[in-house]
Amino acid sequence: MFRHPPVTTIFEIFSVLALAVTLTYFVIELRSHRKETGYFILNIAFLFQLVSTIFIKNTPEVPEILRSMFFGAHVSTALTGYAAITIAGAYGLMYLMLYHEMKATRFGIIYKKLPTLESLERMTFTALKLAFLLLGTAIVFGIIWLSHVYADAHYSDPKLIGTVLVWLMYGFLIIARKGFGIKGRQIMILSIAGFLVSIFSMTIINIFFSGFHKFY
Amino acid sequence: MNLLCVGISHHTAPLEVRERLWFSDEEIRLTLPLLRPLGASESVLFSTCNRTELYVLTEDAALKSENLKNLLITQKSAAEKVQSSDLFSLSGGEAARHLFRVAAGIDSMILGDVQILMQIKTGFNLATEQGTSGFFMNRLFQLAFRSGKRARSESNIGEGAVSISYAAVELAEKIYDDLKNHTALVIGAGETAELTATHLRGKNIGKLLITNRTQERAQHLAEKVQGSVVPYDQWCDAIAEADIVLSSVEVEQYILQPKDIESLHRKNRYAPLVIIDLGVPRNIDPKVKELENIFLYDLDTLQSMVELNMQLRKSEIPKVDSIIAEVLGELTHWYSSLEINPTIAALTQFMESIRQEELAKNINRFEPKDRELVELVTKRIINKIIHAPIVNLRSGHESSIGERLHKMSSIQKLFGLGKQAKDESDE
Repeated sequence: MFRHPPVTTIFEIFSVLALAVTLTYFVIELRSHRKETGYFILNIAFLFQLVSTIFIKNTPEVPEILRSMFFGAHVSTALTGYAAITIAGAYGLMYLMLYHEMKATRFGIIYKKLPTLESLERMTFTALKLAFLLLGTAIVFGIIWLSHVYADAHYSDPKLIGTVLVWLMYGFLIIARKGFGIKGRQIMILSIAGFLVSIFSMTIINIFFSGFHKFY
Repeated sequence: MNLLCVGISHHTAPLEVRERLWFSDEEIRLTLPLLRPLGASESVLFSTCNRTELYVLTEDAALKSENLKNLLITQKSAAEKVQSSDLFSLSGGEAARHLFRVAAGIDSMILGDVQILMQIKTGFNLATEQGTSGFFMNRLFQLAFRSGKRARSESNIGEGAVSISYAAVELAEKIYDDLKNHTALVIGAGETAELTATHLRGKNIGKLLITNRTQERAQHLAEKVQGSVVPYDQWCDAIAEADIVLSSVEVEQYILQPKDIESLHRKNRYAPLVIIDLGVPRNIDPKVKELENIFLYDLDTLQSMVELNMQLRKSEIPKVDSIIAEVLGELTHWYSSLEINPTIAALTQFMESIRQEELAKNINRFEPKDRELVELVTKRIINKIIHAPIVNLRSGHESSIGERLHKMSSIQKLFGLGKQAKDESDE
């Protein structure tokens, strides 16, 4: 009955996103040993799962093309990569909020509840590295799967190009921090910009372009 | 039997009087044994920079608070400066409540002070070492420590910095995760600079650089806080190495301008830099604040932070008072359970209930004519068993209070009487 990866409808994807956000946060918390942001991040996962639970329906007919395990691995890693991008964006936003509160010498709820700026920066960077790694893996799985299912595979699909560009952008962010020593507020602005570019590019591609990525 | 407390604190006397009654550990060791001849069964004395307090358990009605006050004054040869009226006195439950309030930090000059609990522990340990803390004081001080710990874990009484120097460190801690990976540069070697440097060292700052116009003073402070000295004409270069800069010098012009910071900051790859300006007039140009990743705080900012935290702590006092009321309730319950008559009554009732239970189970095994005799014999056995413990409990008047309380507590524990009483009260 469930002989397909659970990424064949938008609400299945929401469920996988909830899991992806949780897993990504789990890795970040393991590495940073900071628990203060769990409440904010896990609420995102909760919302995804809530929408999925309310609207999900049985999918009696799943196209054969979507039953491949390569496809499952490709979509899962891509979704987890985007979850990491979202989390990096959220941490970037938290950083900027705390940064401005501390600059303005206001010591309110944000000052009290959020972890240190250094922690937020490190957690953002962990999320960025995860995003880069997972999107890279998703691209590799996608290309392998593409050559399996389409004999005349072409690589000019807008979503593929968009994802590769986003992946390169995150690669640049990592190099910028490590190589050029860009620190603090600038890297956070880039992280939020990266999140917005990723989300907008995917939305625009989904609405205005067509390619082999149109399955549902 | 009565608990007496006499003491001196910032509520009752000014510093120049209080300091005359400060007892060192050695002086406490010498004073405690002098209390027994006065009629004290148990005693604990502790002393901090803001208070000296003596707790005494006595059965001797002749021992008054005034005697204890005089003893403290005489021991310190302070009769010229300290009057008996400079000291407060409390007794019974009020004395216990006061101790719990002190341990919880709500009687301190710095509300929610965390040091006080350690200082009370030191005093209690000295009394234990001298053998003047017994069964009662052990329980009283254990409950005091509990009220102190609960106040800090269940309320925000100890949250937020309430001194300028600590507020400076707290701000740095909100930016950096672990100060041991960072470097601080302290410009100046005055009192505020020293206090902040001491707090930074207490937080395990990785590297502490000290600079001052007078090299000797810088050297002296550096030795105190395990720092290293930077020559005063080279401190500007040291900023490139620093994550925290603390300035507290008397100058007529700003010692740091935005352009200086900008060039130094570039060397540090624009990593966040915390600058604390504790100088009056200000040492650092306020425009520095506008630079990216620079966090500049002056005295006014720190003062407003301290006031805000103080208000928050004050708002926590009712919560701490209710914790203290609970702990005081525990003490009262424990103490009243150790009175002689209720203990004897509980023991008798306990034995009688066992007798009744066994009789009910087995009485039918006896001939009706023998049943009255069985009743009589079992009663006699029970009475004989409890006779010796009861006599021992009642004849304890010549022994110390602590010894008697200990006896009662042991009997209650051995026969599970306290538990039974607690279960009954729960029902």
